[in-house]
Amino acid sequence: MSSPSVLYAEQPEWADVIPIPQYENVEPLAPILYTPEYKDATDYFRGIVKTGEKSQRVLSLTEHIIRLNPAHYSAWQYRYETLLAIKAPLDVELKLMDEIAIKHMKTYQVWHHRRLLMTHLLRNTDSTGIDKGSSSSSTQSPTQIASSELTLIARTLAEDSKNYHTWSYRQWLLAFFNDDSLWERELDFVDSMLNADVRNNSAWHHRFFVVFQSGVREGEQNRDRVLKRELIYVKQNISLAPNNASAWNYLRGVLDLNKLPYSNLVTFVQPYSVSHPDTPSDLVDLENPPPSRGAQLPCPAAIEFLADVYEKEGGDNVLKATELWKSLGSEHDTIRKRYWEFRVKEGLRAIQAQS
Amino acid sequence: MSTSTAPNLDNNVDNDENNFALPRLARIGHAGHVKRCLSGLPDSQVDLDSSRLAIVFYCIGSLDLLGLIPDKIAQGDLDMWREWIWGQYVSGPYGSGFRPSPFMAFSTGGPSTSDPNSTDAPHIIMTYTALIALAILRDDFSRLDRRGLVNLLRSCQRPDGSFKTVPGDVDTESDLRTLYCAFVISSLLDNWEGVDVAKALEYVKGCRTYEGGYGISTGFEAQGGPTYIALASIYLAPPSPPASSPKYRLTREEKDKTISWLVRMQDPSGGFCGRTNKTADACYCFWCGAALKILGADHLVDSRALVTFLADCQFKYGGIAKAPGEHPDPYHTYLSLAALSMYPPPFSNANENNNASWIFEPLDPLINAKEETAKWAREKVRGLR
Repeated sequence: MSSPSVLYAEQPEWADVIPIPQYENVEPLAPILYTPEYKDATDYFRGIVKTGEKSQRVLSLTEHIIRLNPAHYSAWQYRYETLLAIKAPLDVELKLMDEIAIKHMKTYQVWHHRRLLMTHLLRNTDSTGIDKGSSSSSTQSPTQIASSELTLIARTLAEDSKNYHTWSYRQWLLAFFNDDSLWERELDFVDSMLNADVRNNSAWHHRFFVVFQSGVREGEQNRDRVLKRELIYVKQNISLAPNNASAWNYLRGVLDLNKLPYSNLVTFVQPYSVSHPDTPSDLVDLENPPPSRGAQLPCPAAIEFLADVYEKEGGDNVLKATELWKSLGSEHDTIRKRYWEFRVKEGLRAIQAQS
Repeated sequence: MSTSTAPNLDNNVDNDENNFALPRLARIGHAGHVKRCLSGLPDSQVDLDSSRLAIVFYCIGSLDLLGLIPDKIAQGDLDMWREWIWGQYVSGPYGSGFRPSPFMAFSTGGPSTSDPNSTDAPHIIMTYTALIALAILRDDFSRLDRRGLVNLLRSCQRPDGSFKTVPGDVDTESDLRTLYCAFVISSLLDNWEGVDVAKALEYVKGCRTYEGGYGISTGFEAQGGPTYIALASIYLAPPSPPASSPKYRLTREEKDKTISWLVRMQDPSGGFCGRTNKTADACYCFWCGAALKILGADHLVDSRALVTFLADCQFKYGGIAKAPGEHPDPYHTYLSLAALSMYPPPFSNANENNNASWIFEPLDPLINAKEETAKWAREKVRGLR
């Protein structure tokens, strides 16, 4: 890569390129006060694009621009076209981009570029790793490539555990390669993320995606067993940290998707909905783990859950639901007072309609 | 979810509950912030190079919401802004639309190039922001090639129903954001020929998650921005087949679940979060707030707490930041003002002290513009029939 301290305009090896300054035909609006380095690099980039040159030096130039402005989508796009045109080794490209990915993980283009590279690699490599083009300098199988991507993603998430682009890329990658040996390690990965932060909603979402929304893989065909495993998993997590909206959403998501009635869980939920639950017996009940000692109770999500059960039962029980909603609005979840009052009103209207 | 003590919930409404005071909304300071950005951005913001038109939209939009356009801005400035925006209008075999800025322009003006893989091509998101910005400036759109816009959308839709940001052979980024912009453009044109609506709505459906919100693309985590965009797209779709098919409409249960997820994004600070268990950010006061408005559930928001949060996000030298104590930018400034346009503080004493500074004209939540501006856009973008 060219040294940023020397402008392209001063480098003899760029003398054949005619730089094109950015043209603003009228008084510019919200102009960016470019540094001389950025202005010089983009002048030469426009010059290159105009002639259509695709060469090794274009890779240095676009890398330079990307480091100065990782959101420059044209530089990314032209870089990708150049990589293919000169049949550059894509594994080298990925390695180079690892550092940029971690440094600029919040930039869309960083991850989109990897997607394009992955798509190209999978299309052009057969399962033994034999490259049909010459786009890789080593022979890695697609699974190995994807596996090292998962490692990079894990490293990125270690820096920012809720980064939306990175999680999205992980989901895309898994679905794209769709290889059992990749999928089977995902639940352990989710576990490690949730062990670090049980309130990490991205990790909960990922678990839902892996278990329920990406097809049924070997070892997971017994859906009743999977369902039971997931319910125990989420209940255990609620037990450890009851006031965790992510876990409650997961629980509801599992029940809704599998069309299971919420009423099945009343025994589990009830102790979470009161300030002082009965002291649990010493028996370990996997199905109904009690709130952990010292948990802040009652838990609004538990009250809401019970209210939903009562509402569904209909009849006089709707009145019980309205009492719970009232307690949420007046005491346990006051920021949503208007919402709970609305639920009360709707509930009472339903009772009237029945009678 | 928080617990805090609050008064009883019986029907004896405390009449003084809505008699409260806020600090002043620093309208002049916020206008100053966006005007400074229009006159120039520091080199540290070079990453906006490829989305300058969007920043221009947030700046001009802020001035519109603040009621300063056209009367409080010099005519020369308004004309100059309009000319700069039209200066970004490009056409080619893929259709026509607006580019983010001249950051990839080689030529000395005029519609640029005929190369379908040009790097100086129109961008769908920028095209949406340009049309709204021009409507704010009350442009007559006589320079708009409407057929060209339709062609651009057609060139950008992918087989899965989503839209690429720019035309060409390379698969550029594509997700719900671009789809929403394509829907607004078609709606303003009152012409949906550029869009395979059924496929697009199928794509939207695939972005729905178990939480009740929407992710930015299929399989991704529910987030406030995409949830707004998904709902706005569903409600912008034309009321005729195929979009009118019940399979693309939300069921009662789905709607209830989405409302429940959205209201739970309001955290005890009064601001909205973008995702479950994240912290509040001013921009989500718009994204979640507008989504609730579209669903007719805006009355469920604690608007007093919302406004109090936004009051705290004001930067002392002008502009609104994503959270208290942070630095402001045009994006958070515009979206905060847009949120205030939908959620006026529930004062009983609006004329007192600083309270009048918080009152705005109403906003069209579907296309994200002041109602008056939206009306202009709907009349003028479609052109004469």
